[in-house]
Parts: sequence; structure tokens; C-alpha cells
Amino acid sequence: MFRLAVKSVKHNPKRLVLTAIAVALGVALAAATFTLTNALSGGFHQLFEEIYSGTDVIVEEAPSESEEEGDQFAAGDSVFSTDDLAAVQAVDGVGLAVGGIQVMGAVLPADFEPTGELTAGGAPSQLFNWSGEPRIDQSTLVEGHGPETDTQMVLDVDSAPRLGYELGDQVAVATDSGVTELELVGLVRFGESNSLQGATLGYMTEATAWELAQSDGYQSISVLVADGADKDEVATAISDVIPDGTRAITGEDKAAEQAQELDDLLQYIDIFAIAFALIALFVGSYIIVNTFRIIVTQRTREFGLLRAIGVSGRQLRTMILLEALVIAVVASTVGIALGYLGALGLSALVEAVSGNIFGTVTLPIDALLWGYALGALVTLIAALMPAIHASTISPMEALRESATESKKPLRLRNIVGGALALLGVLAIVVGLYMDVPRPYVYVGAGAMVLIIGVTLLAAQVLVPLAYGLKSLLTRLFRVDGKLAANNIRREPRRSANTAAALMIGVMLLALVSTFTESLKSVVTDQFASSDADFFVLSTQGAIPAGAIETLESEDGVDFVTSLGVDSAQFEGTGYAVASIDPVTAEAAFDYNNEPAFTELDGGVFIDPVIQELGVEVGDQVTLEGAEGSATLEVTGLYLNEGDANFWVDEATGAELFGEYDVVQAMVVLDEGVDAAAAQEQLAEALAADYPLVVLQAPDELAQFANQFIDLLLGVISAMLGAALIIAVLGVANTLLLSVTERTREIGLLRAVGVRRRSIRRMIRIESLVMAIFGTILGMILGVGLGVALVRALEEFGFSSVAIPWTWLGIYMVLAIIAGVVAAMSPARRAAKLDILQAIAFDG
Amino acid sequence: MTTTVTLAASMRGGTKDYGSGDAAVRALDGIDVDIAAAEFTAIMGPSGSGKSTLLHTLAGLDRLTAGESWIGDQQISSLSEDKITQVRRDKIGFVFQAFNLIPSLTARENITLPLDISGRDIDPAWFDEIIGILGLADRLTHLPAELSGGQQQRVAVARALVARPELIFADEPSGNLDSRSGAELLGFMRRAVKEFGQTIAMVTHDPSAASYSDRVLFLADGRIVDEMREPTADRVLDRMKQMGH
Repeated sequence: MFRLAVKSVKHNPKRLVLTAIAVALGVALAAATFTLTNALSGGFHQLFEEIYSGTDVIVEEAPSESEEEGDQFAAGDSVFSTDDLAAVQAVDGVGLAVGGIQVMGAVLPADFEPTGELTAGGAPSQLFNWSGEPRIDQSTLVEGHGPETDTQMVLDVDSAPRLGYELGDQVAVATDSGVTELELVGLVRFGESNSLQGATLGYMTEATAWELAQSDGYQSISVLVADGADKDEVATAISDVIPDGTRAITGEDKAAEQAQELDDLLQYIDIFAIAFALIALFVGSYIIVNTFRIIVTQRTREFGLLRAIGVSGRQLRTMILLEALVIAVVASTVGIALGYLGALGLSALVEAVSGNIFGTVTLPIDALLWGYALGALVTLIAALMPAIHASTISPMEALRESATESKKPLRLRNIVGGALALLGVLAIVVGLYMDVPRPYVYVGAGAMVLIIGVTLLAAQVLVPLAYGLKSLLTRLFRVDGKLAANNIRREPRRSANTAAALMIGVMLLALVSTFTESLKSVVTDQFASSDADFFVLSTQGAIPAGAIETLESEDGVDFVTSLGVDSAQFEGTGYAVASIDPVTAEAAFDYNNEPAFTELDGGVFIDPVIQELGVEVGDQVTLEGAEGSATLEVTGLYLNEGDANFWVDEATGAELFGEYDVVQAMVVLDEGVDAAAAQEQLAEALAADYPLVVLQAPDELAQFANQFIDLLLGVISAMLGAALIIAVLGVANTLLLSVTERTREIGLLRAVGVRRRSIRRMIRIESLVMAIFGTILGMILGVGLGVALVRALEEFGFSSVAIPWTWLGIYMVLAIIAGVVAAMSPARRAAKLDILQAIAFDG
Repeated sequence: MTTTVTLAASMRGGTKDYGSGDAAVRALDGIDVDIAAAEFTAIMGPSGSGKSTLLHTLAGLDRLTAGESWIGDQQISSLSEDKITQVRRDKIGFVFQAFNLIPSLTARENITLPLDISGRDIDPAWFDEIIGILGLADRLTHLPAELSGGQQQRVAVARALVARPELIFADEPSGNLDSRSGAELLGFMRRAVKEFGQTIAMVTHDPSAASYSDRVLFLADGRIVDEMREPTADRVLDRMKQMGH
């Protein structure tokens, strides 16, 4: 049986090529991502090893279990005093202990002009104290000397020229306390090859670092053990002398821990990629179903013959599944190879743009396993129905004159389709209007079921649709139009499946664009409804307190309100706590809370996450911050999920955290002050000492935020591109196979005088009708589901639904182009048929 | 009835209806048939006489509406589809009028297909003998599309013979061939009966094809109306003319 299956695939590979490409594309998507994340993981493993290899033992703040995903580059609190350092130095086996200070700040370019422009991202500056011990600094001097006085610093060899500094220049360093100028006295190389991924690295003396960091302690202590001492033993010994909440860990363990954290993060990317690969393969499975269905029809007599000479139905089924498996293996192999090549190309591209962040790009075993598993599974599942159908072919079929698909009524298909569609709608309604936990799960699952239901029902919809279009098409294109309409109606299942593949792709696009468009309108509304004239943001780190004071003291400023965020423990878990001034906050911004913040009254507002824990208004909650704890009465609700879990006033914030980081501030001007003039005036006031702080008018900020949303839409659309290409391949594939099947008929048409051009047009009309039909269905479903999803996410702040008309128009134009493109090859093939051969053609 | 004749297949009271209600057509009408072993039996009759239906039901390709049929001494009319498939596989060979071969397999692979399916070993001597007689030795690596119509039918006969089935059913095997190729093919089939004791039952409407057989059964309206032994083309033709053909 296996041999027969392989023979059969080899005998007529053309009809399977497009199917294989569909599978390969989906697999390639998964394989490429796995290869990239694997390389990324390898690259960072190497980097972490390099960073921590020099240090034998690291003493640092113990990571709390619950802490939110921390910023890798943010400086921690200064938890070690000079006494602690002395105590660690005194431990047996410690050769050298050096306190580490990280300064939050940025090295400004030599030609820096504060523009007030908000720029996205950018690699941060990393500023530390210089120990002079290369194993601890992880950097070696390549030019000049280390910082010796409190007015000197060194930069890494790549950053100095990039920022426009030469030895002897005064380097501008912006920190919380303003801009400080330090003389550049040396250049250093980080590790072996200064691979900093674009970040700026600088060192200064301990005293300068303390001054800039406004601190007198250390965030960490790096230890080199004495000759012959055991690192693990020294680490254990150090643990006894350091404060609670801190730990001593060997450099090797630290590297492994960091690498593990990164791997956990990368895993999410893999899951994301698998999800998109599954979407692509799901679309591909429609093509596989169609291809096998058509192949089974074309080979009815062959199967009948096999049945006659004693092949059982089960063996026939096995044979077809084996054929599917052969295709899956070949296609998955091609897909994995494509994915690997794609990953190689992409990593080379990234390397050229932003330096080497990847390790060696090798094909990980995961890519192979997932590639083959996904490819084989989807192909086999898709081939199962046609295979079962083949196994029911009676041996008498071998004796029939010609092969036609039996005209099974659509009743069962309609019933199942209707039931599934109803079930899907029901689940969506439950998710939207019933009070259930996690409504989006209901909406999501309902959507899946609805898609399958609509696919099944589409066959029924197509029949009347083709009837309806027939007269129109006949009027427009005469006999070509009539024949095209008939062809669509002749195989409603096949046409429906083909259109459905496109439908899913378009649906997801319409869904995502409806979602993002709504998100944009939410963002725009929120900023528009703000009473604040400017939002104050920092391009790096928190907003310095001094900057807010500067703004407050300017003429024309009514008040400045600020929002600080830090993490506190509640019932053993870490949550985000926002600190605000209730009166000014309420006056400046339309927060979604109940009642107004002015009712905070020294208590706390809680968000839906905390509500789900069973906390209610009137309850007492105890929060534990870094500096102290507070027991507060819940006085109200903050209604948006995903901002901060607890909202307290500034006094409580200070009690919990001491000095907390201000992440956002808003400026409200005096009445009658011209905003444009004020923005210039305030920006100028900030420029001298706080060049990293920028002012944004609400509409500017909304635009900026919307750019990110557009980017998100772009990324997702690109990921869905694979699914769409597969869907278009599906239209081409179905047409190609049906041209083969109709060879005799087309020959007859040609014989009675239909011109080649008309044949081509007939195929093109068929293609267009399927493409447009699929697109319209997809848009209806996608927009509908998008609206449903937005409604389901109401508690995240989605207040209004926006329908992306522009995008829908673009999708329709693309669908028409896709329809024409998909018809090209089948139309050419049909028009080229030799009349005599076509008539003599035997299935 | 003589007791010395072994039956390769038989049917008692075989009735086959197609459709139902007013549209019902009775293709076989309580027919009794015996196919003797090691004989070449031809089944003749005008179009619509039920000759093809008789062949299909005898071979287990189609089911009787009423009555019983046997292959050898095994009653097959009440067997499950799986069991009947097994009987076909192990005991029966087929030669159809057209589309006898799997397009993706070479001539050799087509010939050995029944053995491959049932997992039996090929008897090389027997294989070579058949190939020799049928003159297919230099055509074994060709695909069906590369063979002439006559060659394709000879490959089909070789396939039917190679598994040494108890019985070969042939449905108009020469129907699509020119007269010379047809005569050759029927000659081979006759040799198989005479030299190897193979049993063959063949449906045909061509009197000259029937003349290769040992015995001709004449069918009309779903019943056997006559029988002729040692037929010649002329005698068969005369008989057919009497039947108003």
C-alpha cells in the first residue's frame, strides 16, 4: 500500500504542488521563528556568560517571586551600605569585593538640541562606577586612562565617536538631578568585542556616581574570591553577613538564571508564532481537503478497480492517508528548509542593522519536531474526510463510463453547519451579555466554531448566489458568464471551501483592523477628553522631581499633576500601585473610576483584578511597600483593567515607597494662556537641566500612540500574509484541478467555436466570484467578531467601536487582484488545451 | 446433473432489481446458473438482457436482491462487504472492458498488484510463463499510458492469471480492441483454460468472441433462455438472430 501511495504521488505531482506549497508556507513560519528564537537565546546565553564570567560571586537584592517583569536595564535600589561592603570584604575567602552603583541617566550627543520630540525606544545609556578591576568592570581600557577625579569619565569605543566626543571633550550626562558635564579621559571595550547592541556604556568614579544617583549605597557587590577558595562556599559564607532580602549567588548561577528568564520570555514568541502557523495551516487545510476531494473524484474508477480486485475500503483509506503523509513529509521538509533560510536571511539583516545579537543560527530540534508535527497533523486531518469518502467507493464504480462527484445532497452539511454557526453565535452572546468570568474566552471559542459553521453553510449560500449572479453575469459576459455561474453552482462544496479559505484570512484581517481601529479611537477619545494641556514624559527612566518643580514655577501654569507607579505586596503577591494627587488628577484627566478620585479620602481604589479576588468597597486592605506598609479602606473602584491595581494618594505613596518614580505628569495651564507659546516656553525651561523630559499636547500624544497601534496592525497583517497567500493559492489550485477535470467539456466548447479568450474569461469570472464572495463573507464575519470582541473587552476601557472602512476598501481591491492573479495559470492552461486531445482525454 | 463436474460458481434464484416503485427494473429474474470449473463460459445476450448484472452479482461486485450465489462452495450472497472483498481478493480475477490498470504503476506492478495486496509471494516461474505467453516481456517497465490498447488488455489478463484465482470474470475484454488484437487476446484466454485448467466466465455480445468459449449461455429479460456447447461464430450468430437481436 505504501508503495502504491508513493507511486501515485510521484505519478502526478503537479496536482499536489500547490497543496504542498500551502503546507510548506505554514511550516516555514513556525520553523523560522523557532530558529530565530533559538539563535536569540544562544546569543544571550553567550552574552550573559560573558557578563558574569568575570565575577565569582554577585551579591544583590533577592528577586521577589512576585515582582513584575522588571526592566533589564533599570537600576535597582541601593540596598547595600558601605558597612555591608566592608562586611563582605571581611568574609573568609573573599579576595576583592567592589560595590556597584548604576546611575540612571543618559549620555547626550555632543550636538544635542532639545527638540521636544518624543522618540520611540532607542538603546539606553548604562552608567556605572569604575573599579579599575577589569573582571568586575567587564570592560578594558583601550585608550586614555580610567576616571581618576570626580570630573572625569570614560565611554565605550563605539559610543564616543557615535555621539561625537573625543578624548578631552566635556561629555553631557543627563540625570534626575540635571545635566552634568564630565571630561572624557578614556575609551573602554566591553567584553571581547564591545557588543552592546547599540547601548552607550560609561564609567565614572564612585563619588561622581553617588552624586548623580543621589545615593550613598550600592545596588550590588561584585566579589572575586581569593586564590583557591571555593565560589559556592564563599557565596554561602557571604549570605550570613548581608542584610535580609539580599542574596549572594555565583556568577555562573546568575548567568544561567538570566538566560532561563530570557528563554521563558522567548517561549511566548514561539507560542505566538505557532498560533499564526496554525492559522496559516488551518487555511491550508481547506486547500488540502479540496485537493484530495477532487483527486478522489478523478480517481474514482481507479479506486473502484482496486476494490474489485480485492482491496478493502480500509486499505484504500490507509492508502490515501499515506499519500497525504508523503505530501506532508515532503512539504514540511521544504517548509523547514524555507523557514531556516528565512531565519538566516533575517538574522543577517538584523545583524547588519543593529549588531550581532544572535548566536550561531542553527536549526533547533524544536523547529524540526514542530514543523513535521504541524505539517503532518494538519495534512492528515484534512485528508481524512476525502479518504473516508474514497473508502466507500463501490467496486461497481470502476465500470462506470466517467467519473463525477456524486451529488450528495447538502442537507447534512447544512444541518451541521447551521448548528455550529448557532453554537458559535450563542457562545459569543454569552460572552458579551451574560455575566461570566473571562468573557473573551467565550467570544474567542465562539468565533472558531462560527467560522467552521459558516464554511459549511457557504455551500448552501453559493447555490442561490450563483443563480442570482447567473442572469447578471450572463448579461455582462454572455455565455462565458453563464458557464462560469453554472460551474460554481455545480460543485458548491468545492467552491465554498475555496471561498472559505480566503474568508478566514480576510476575516482575521478585518477583525484585527476593527480591533485596532477601535483601540485608536479609544486612545484618541481618551486624550481628547483630557483637560490637561500637556503630558509630561521622560524619554528615559522616570520624570525627575526637579522637572516637575521647574514646570510648576513657570508663569501661566495653573498646576501640574503627577502619577507615580511602584510595586507593593498585597496578600503575598506583588501588584502595581499608582500614587496620585486626587484633586489635580481628577481635574486634569478623565479617569475611568467610580466615584471620582476626590472621594479617595486617604483610602484606596481597586481595579477589576483586585475585585475578582473578592475585595469590595468598604473592606480594609494592607499594602506592603519597600519603605513601609499601610492599611487602607477601599473607598472606590478604578474600572479599567491593566493600568494599575491600586490607586492611592501621594501621602500614602510616600508612606509605602518613600520616593517613588513618577512615570507621567500632566500640565494644566491658566485660563487664556496660548498653548503653543506655552509649550515653547516650558520646553525651554526644561532644556537646560532636564533635556530628556518632553512635553506633548494630547493630540500629539494620541498620534504617537496610534503609530504604535498601526505598527501592531502591520505586524499582525504581515503574519497573516502567509495565510492569505495560501488562500489565493487555494483558489488557483481549485481552478487548476477543475480545469483538468473539465478537460473534455472545455474541448467540446472549443470544438463548437468558443474562442480561447472566452474560455480564459470564463475561468477568470469563476475565480473572481469565489474571491469576492470569500472576501465579503470574511469582512462581515471579521467586522462582526471584531465588534463583539471590542464589546467583550469593555472593562479594559474599550468604549466605542470603529469600523475600518478604509481597510475594508483596500481588502476588496486586493481580493479582486487576487482573483485575477489566481485565475491566470488555470485560465492559460484551459485556453491552451488542444481540442482533439481534450475530447479524447480519459480522466 | 453429472456429479463429476466441479462448480467454480453458481447461483440459485438470483433476482436483482434496480430502483424502486414504478421505476423498478428487474435485471435478473430468478436465474439459476452453474459455471463449471476449468471451462471457458461465455454469457451472451442483447443489451438489457441482464448479462452484465449476472457477471457482477456472480463476482460479488454487486449484491442480489434475492437468491443465493456461491464461489466454489462458499456462499457469498450473505457475506459482509469485508468478507466479500476478501473472497474477490483471494479467489477471483477480473478483466474489464476498459480502465483495467492503475495509471501510476508500471505493467509489472499492475500484474503483481493482487499478490502485493494480499501479501502473497510471486511465483517467478509462473510469472515468467504468463509473461512469455502474453508477449509482455519487453513491456514490463512501461506505464499503462505507454502501452497500446491490446497490450493493456493483455496486462489485465496477466494480472488476472498471476494469482491463480479459482475463477476469472471478464466483461467484454475485447470490446475496445481492433479485431486482430481482440482475437489474440481471446486466444490467450482460451489457452489459459486449456493448458492451465483456468476457469473463465466472460460476458460478450460479439458472436466471434463467444466462439472461443466451451459453452455459451444465452440471456434474455433476466433469464437463461438457451445454452450451446462447442460454439462456432456462425451458430452463435444464428441463435442470436432467432432471439431477435
